[in-house]
Order: sequence, then C-alpha cells, then structure tokens
Amino acid sequence: MSKPRHLRSGASKTGSSKTSSSKAGSTNAEPGDEDVVGDRTEWTGSSLRTQVWVLTTRSLRAAFGDPRLVFFGLLQPVVLLLLFSQVFSGVGSLPGVAQYQGYINYLMPATLVNIAMITAMGAGAGLVAETYSGVIGRFRSLPIATGSVLLARTFADTARLAVQLVAIVVAAVLFLDFAPYGGPLGLAAAVLLTLFVGWGLSWLFVAIATWQRSIELMQAVSFIATYPLMFSSSAYMPLQSMPAWVRAVATVNPLTYAIDAARALALGRVPGWSLPMAVGLAAVAALGGGAIAARNFRRSA
Amino acid sequence: MPENRTNALGPLSSSRTGATGLPRIEVVDLGKSYGPVTALTGVTLSVAAGSVLAVLGHNGAGKTTLVDILATRTRPSTGSATVCGFDVTRDGHQVRRRIALTGQFASIDETLTARGNLVLVARLMGAPAKAARARADELIELFGLVEAADRVSMTFSGGMRRRLDLAACLVGSPKVLFLDEPTTGLDPVSRTGLWTTVRLLAREGTTVVLTTQYLEEADRLADDLVVLAAGAVVASGTPTELKAKVGARTAAVTFPDAWSARWALEEFTRLGLKPVLDPDAYVVTAAIPAAGQIVPLVRALDQYGVTVVDLTVTEPTLDEVYLALHRAAWDTATWEAP
Repeated sequence: MSKPRHLRSGASKTGSSKTSSSKAGSTNAEPGDEDVVGDRTEWTGSSLRTQVWVLTTRSLRAAFGDPRLVFFGLLQPVVLLLLFSQVFSGVGSLPGVAQYQGYINYLMPATLVNIAMITAMGAGAGLVAETYSGVIGRFRSLPIATGSVLLARTFADTARLAVQLVAIVVAAVLFLDFAPYGGPLGLAAAVLLTLFVGWGLSWLFVAIATWQRSIELMQAVSFIATYPLMFSSSAYMPLQSMPAWVRAVATVNPLTYAIDAARALALGRVPGWSLPMAVGLAAVAALGGGAIAARNFRRSA
Repeated sequence: MPENRTNALGPLSSSRTGATGLPRIEVVDLGKSYGPVTALTGVTLSVAAGSVLAVLGHNGAGKTTLVDILATRTRPSTGSATVCGFDVTRDGHQVRRRIALTGQFASIDETLTARGNLVLVARLMGAPAKAARARADELIELFGLVEAADRVSMTFSGGMRRRLDLAACLVGSPKVLFLDEPTTGLDPVSRTGLWTTVRLLAREGTTVVLTTQYLEEADRLADDLVVLAAGAVVASGTPTELKAKVGARTAAVTFPDAWSARWALEEFTRLGLKPVLDPDAYVVTAAIPAAGQIVPLVRALDQYGVTVVDLTVTEPTLDEVYLALHRAAWDTATWEAP
C-alpha cells in the first residue's frame, strides 16, 4: 500500500499550491463538533432524486456496459418469439385466433408481457446477487433512503425492459410479418402498458428477493411464479381451447388481463375491462411489493 | 513529490494522537438476542474521540454484532448506544452520516471501476459531480490505485479490493470508522499498509473501532482493548494494563560459566527478584514487574565485572493475556460445576 498522506484533506491539494487552506486548517480537528460529516460541510447528504438517479444510472451502466451481454440479452426474446411462432403456428387456425390473421399477431403482444415477466425476475435475482457481492451492504451503511436503492433497482430494470421491447417489436415487424393493426400509437400504448406491468412485477420479485435471500431459492420461487402463470393465461392459446379447469385459472390469472390489454391495444381492438384491470393490478403489485420489500430491507442486516 | 508529502503530513506530526478524551461512542448495558441465542449481553464501554478501540474475541464472541449495532445495521435488544452523540436506534440516519464501515468482505461494486466506486459513494453522500471526482482522484492516489483506477474492480486482487473498500469508507471523511476484521486474508504487505492507514486516521482525529482475532494487530493499533467472550466483556483496558494483569516481562541472562550464574542468582535475589537458574545452560531467568527494573540488574552485573553472554527481555504477548483470560473463564466454569 502506498503511503497514505492526508486522508482528511479537503479539495485535491496534491500538486496545487493555490488551494485555499481554510478547509485544511479545520481538518485537524474539533472532534467535539459533531454537526458535520468530517470536514465536508458542503456535503449535507443527497436528495432522494439524486440518490435514485445515481443508483439507476449505475445499474444501467452495469447492464449495458458489456456489449456481449447486451447482444445476447436482446437475442434471447427474439429467439423465443421465433420458436413459439413457428412451433405453434398451427394454433393460428384455431377458433378465437383465426380472426387475428396469423399466429404471430396473437403471440407477439403476449411475448411483450412474457419478456416483462422475465426481466422482472431479473430484478429480484439482481438484488440477491448484489446483496451477496456486498454492494447492498455498502449502500445500507450510507446516509441514503432505503427506498432509493429499491426504486433505482426497479427503474433500471424497467429501462432495460424498454430497450428489449423496442428491439423485439422492430425484429417482429421486420422479420416475422407482425402486423400491428393498432398502428404506431396502438403499438406504443401496448409497449407503455407492458412497461408499467413490468415495473409492477419487478416490485413483486424485489419483495421476494428481500425475503428469500438465497439465489437457489429465489430461482425456484421465481420459476414457480412465472411459468405456470405464463402458460395458464391467454398468452399462447385462446381460452376456449383449454380444459375447463385451466380456463378457470386463466380467467383469474392477472397476466391474462395484461396480455389481453396489450393485444387489444397493439391490434387496434377494444381492450374493455382488461386495460383498467391490468393497470390496477400492476399498481397493486408495485405498492404491495414495495411495502413488503421496504420493510424487509430495513429490518434485515 | 517529496515536498508535497512533507506538506501533507505536516499537521500530523504535531501530536502523537488526536485523542481529546471526549467520548465518541458510549455504550450502556447493550444486549442483543436472536430468539434464544444471546449474541451480546451487558456490554458497557466508551470510546474517546480519536482513539482506537480493538474488540477481541473468538469467532461468535459477539464482535460483529457489536459493530453492526453501532453502525445501525442491527437494532439492539436491550441497552443503548450513541455514536457522535446520536442514538443508534432513534437517529440512525444522523449516525450514518458520520460513520463508515468495512465488513469482513469488501463491499464494492464489481461492475464499476475503482474510480466509479468512489465517485458513486461521494455522489450518494451529497457531493456534486465535480467534487465527487476530485475526492475520488485524491483517494485513488492515497491508496496506490492509480494504475488500476479505470479497471473494472472485478479483476482486483484481495488486497486491492480491501484498499478500494477502505478508500470508499473514507470518501466522506467519517468521524468514526468501523473495521470488522480488516486484515483477515491479507498478505503481510497489505496488512502493514492498512495498519499505517489506521494509525494515520486516528492521528487525524478519526475514532476507529476494529474487531480482530489477531492479538498482534490489536497490540500495535489499539489505545484500548475489549475482550469479548460469549457476548460479554471479560476484560478491558489498555494493552499495557492487560499485559500487566497477566504476567510480567521476563529477563533471561546467559553466563559463560556456572560460577557467575550462581553469583547472579544471589545478586538478583538480593534485588528483590525471584530468579530461576538453569544449571546446564547457565541461564538465570527472572520476572521483572516493570521495564525499569532491568537497569539495576545490568548495573549490578557491570559493577562486578561479570561477563554476560546474552541478555534478553521477553514482553508478555497478548496471546498470553488472551489464553489466561480464557483459562480463567474455563476454570470458573469448572469450579462452578457440581
């Protein structure tokens, strides 16, 4: 270790003889003066907005810092969409789907919500990983609001989701003959709705992450929460073609509302009750998940 | 460069320690239990501003729990604690503005560079972007991280991580610094470097609380020691006081022949010591309660022109202190058993 010199000095003094010495003069003490952070009287703590901004950009820099990670992250949903649209192309002729003129049109809006779910899972997994790596511990010992760490986490993952959604919409229109009859506005509305739903879902997974801090358990819980919900919804098959009990599950499955609403918006149909239901459920998820996450996060060490 | 160094160190050389006697940390009857498990019980202590307190103890003795409570990471079950005059349970935010903590593992963002980590912490502490960068640069230089400043910290060695971790702690110039087993797993060079830093910080007025299992570390750094066992304080005091409690220094004098050894035995007894003779090696060993008592010993030998082959004085180590304390605790337990 190189020899530490002036560990409490104010502005960078090394190599500068003109730096004001008034600050340096006060460094050597008044240990009784407890009203300042060290000698940094000008640092009176950061605002909530600064905290969330700094923490969000930090996460985004990490997420987009590695081009390979970005490439495969964007490729993954495209591959999924390609596979599902080809493997299940026969579904396109089923009653309830045929009216959409191609399975891709039926599938694509559901895929948006699917991606939102997977990205939201990533928010929980990311929080667990950061708890292990010790970064969270550092944040917890800083004079910042508990909520800003969690809020930044969900914002960063929602921003990541936005990039993924735009990428897959472009890919689907260009290569998979996706025809969004709702026009650019309808499509934009569908993407915005999905972003809000994704943000709500990310709070649920963040709540799970603050409660269950083992990576393996987190994955197991996330899997159970994700796949049955995705498949027992209107995502891949019309409800009419399902066995009665699955149809019953799908009708109360919150994802069905999000998928139906996104589908209606993107394809220029009337969303009906599905839109307010989707927005309301996402808001409930955000508030409920947020409350649980904040409580767990504050309590635990 | 050397000129800068002298300059920067200038204010430090005036006094040995920044301690002023004002308490920075006050702990009264602190306890913590996790369900049926008692992690800490009845801990009372006070740490003066600018002094270094070492908390010693086995794994599971309650060291980390104590630090976690003081750093507002865990709430105490009983008792109270103040840091810089603020209650750790009621004014956690005020406490966190004045402290920094390094845990047993480095708390750095591996996806960021060394500079990125320091800027992040400075920004979160309320520094404007420019001031944050200036402070980061300053610490990067102080901790010898210039070459690695713009490398992603994922690639850092254990020692570099520790340095970056400590640098991140010092971003806000904390009044109280908690170091939880700071040198565990460090190589000797990094360890010595960390010790130097801790001493400098204390000299500049930072109060340091460090937990350690290394008695040498506590002996070198601490003004005061607290020994924890099963969550309770079993001994406290300065290193010297603790050593004096257990045992004395021993002087061992080696003579060239049996005659002078036997003569020394008598002479030492006359000086009020209780010497022991090893007749085969011509070595006379005696416990000397105070360091000054070696002087009349040497003077007596000199006066009679006795040749001395070798003279060594052995300081009691904290290991002896530690072992003696635990032996005492164990003995008590055994006696109390039916």
